[in-house]
Amino acid sequence: MRALLVHSAIILGLTVGVMAMPAPPTGFEVGQPFPPITLPALRDGRPMSIMQFRGQKLILHIFASW
Amino acid sequence: MVGIIEEQHPDRARLFMQWKQMAWPVMVDSLNLLEVPYVPITLAIDEHGIIRQIQPPLTWVEQLPEEFLNRSFPEPSKRRVEASGLPDLGRLKRMARSNTATAWREYAQAVFLWGGPDRLDEAITAYQRALALAPEDGYTWFRLGVAYRRRYDSSARRAGDFQRAIDAWTKALQIDPNNYIWRRRIQQYGPRLKKPYPFYDWVSRARAEIRARGETPVPLAVEPGGAELARPTRQFLSTRPPEKEPDPDGRIHRDRGRFIRVETVVVPPEIPPGGVVRAHVIFRPNDRLKAHWNNEAGDFVFWVHPPEGWTVDRQYQTIPSPPRPVSRELRQVEFELRCPEDIRPGTVAIPGYALYYVCEDVNGVCLYRRQDIVLNVRVKKPRL
Repeated sequence: MRALLVHSAIILGLTVGVMAMPAPPTGFEVGQPFPPITLPALRDGRPMSIMQFRGQKLILHIFASW
Repeated sequence: MVGIIEEQHPDRARLFMQWKQMAWPVMVDSLNLLEVPYVPITLAIDEHGIIRQIQPPLTWVEQLPEEFLNRSFPEPSKRRVEASGLPDLGRLKRMARSNTATAWREYAQAVFLWGGPDRLDEAITAYQRALALAPEDGYTWFRLGVAYRRRYDSSARRAGDFQRAIDAWTKALQIDPNNYIWRRRIQQYGPRLKKPYPFYDWVSRARAEIRARGETPVPLAVEPGGAELARPTRQFLSTRPPEKEPDPDGRIHRDRGRFIRVETVVVPPEIPPGGVVRAHVIFRPNDRLKAHWNNEAGDFVFWVHPPEGWTVDRQYQTIPSPPRPVSRELRQVEFELRCPEDIRPGTVAIPGYALYYVCEDVNGVCLYRRQDIVLNVRVKKPRL
């Protein structure tokens, strides 16, 4: 639970640009698959994809450190 | 929790995650392949990879609701294309010979992501080929800029890469001025905003807190600086008396690029009358001559001469020498120039110079030299 609270605090810290009003379009659509692109993992640069997490429900957070 | 970061410099994200003790798996999307118009975006995804919530309530991040966790979502009727790990670069290169914009883009993307720094040339060439066929593709202009800047930050850099990155990002933003990611990418390099944005002000605090925990901060390949930090704020020359010019009569002998190679970058590349540019002037010791800074003799000094009517925030700068007798690091100065409101459109040459102590090779000569530079700033016609 503490880890999840840390996560939510981090999300709050990262949501610099989020507005209280309805959010502008993200380019994503409910009911559609998340794009199956392969990207380098931050930790080691190896290929990684959302497809590796098939079988699990997850929260995906697209963010930046700026 | 899984993350995707939209970053030009992934090492900064590593430092951020170390600071916040975030242990999620995270992917790097420097090319903005997701084509997200802004960040942050949070999605709830089911067991089949289908998006079920966009920007869910924060409580979902803390704990996925039981109704969502326990529900078995239907499998999609269409079979999804499976991600297959590393692409076949050879196959994509052959397919690019079909000479379509799509084929060149796919090859560029793959070789950028997986070809390593030695193959960035190929990614850049492939993006250029795609743009020759589809010149109004904003995403390809953006990605070309990312590739140029990546090459600039690598050992494979070429003179002019930084400016070409700025030019490519500028073109992307001209095509789609609403793309927040692209806009912020250029703003990182200047000029400093009227309300400076703290892109990376967190870095010094992060390092302090990480060290306090007894850990070693993740090293950064490129230190944040200039417009990437909200502090200090800028102030133009009209509000502060000028420094004394160090070599007003031009008596110091010139280094015309023999010992120190110079690169200049102007951001943005074009401004309206009354506009502001941020100049980056980068100095690199000549590898071939094994040139190096002589730090025992004195500090590096820079002076810029704004033309009549122009103002500058830092006319005189020094770079303190590091605490060792010699060194070979890159040295960089940044400053901002404002052009007058009543200026005619055209290219304006803004002169400046650096003074430094430099040596050649191990037992070679050590000299005090001046290198003159010229910044070319394009002033465009004002909008009516």
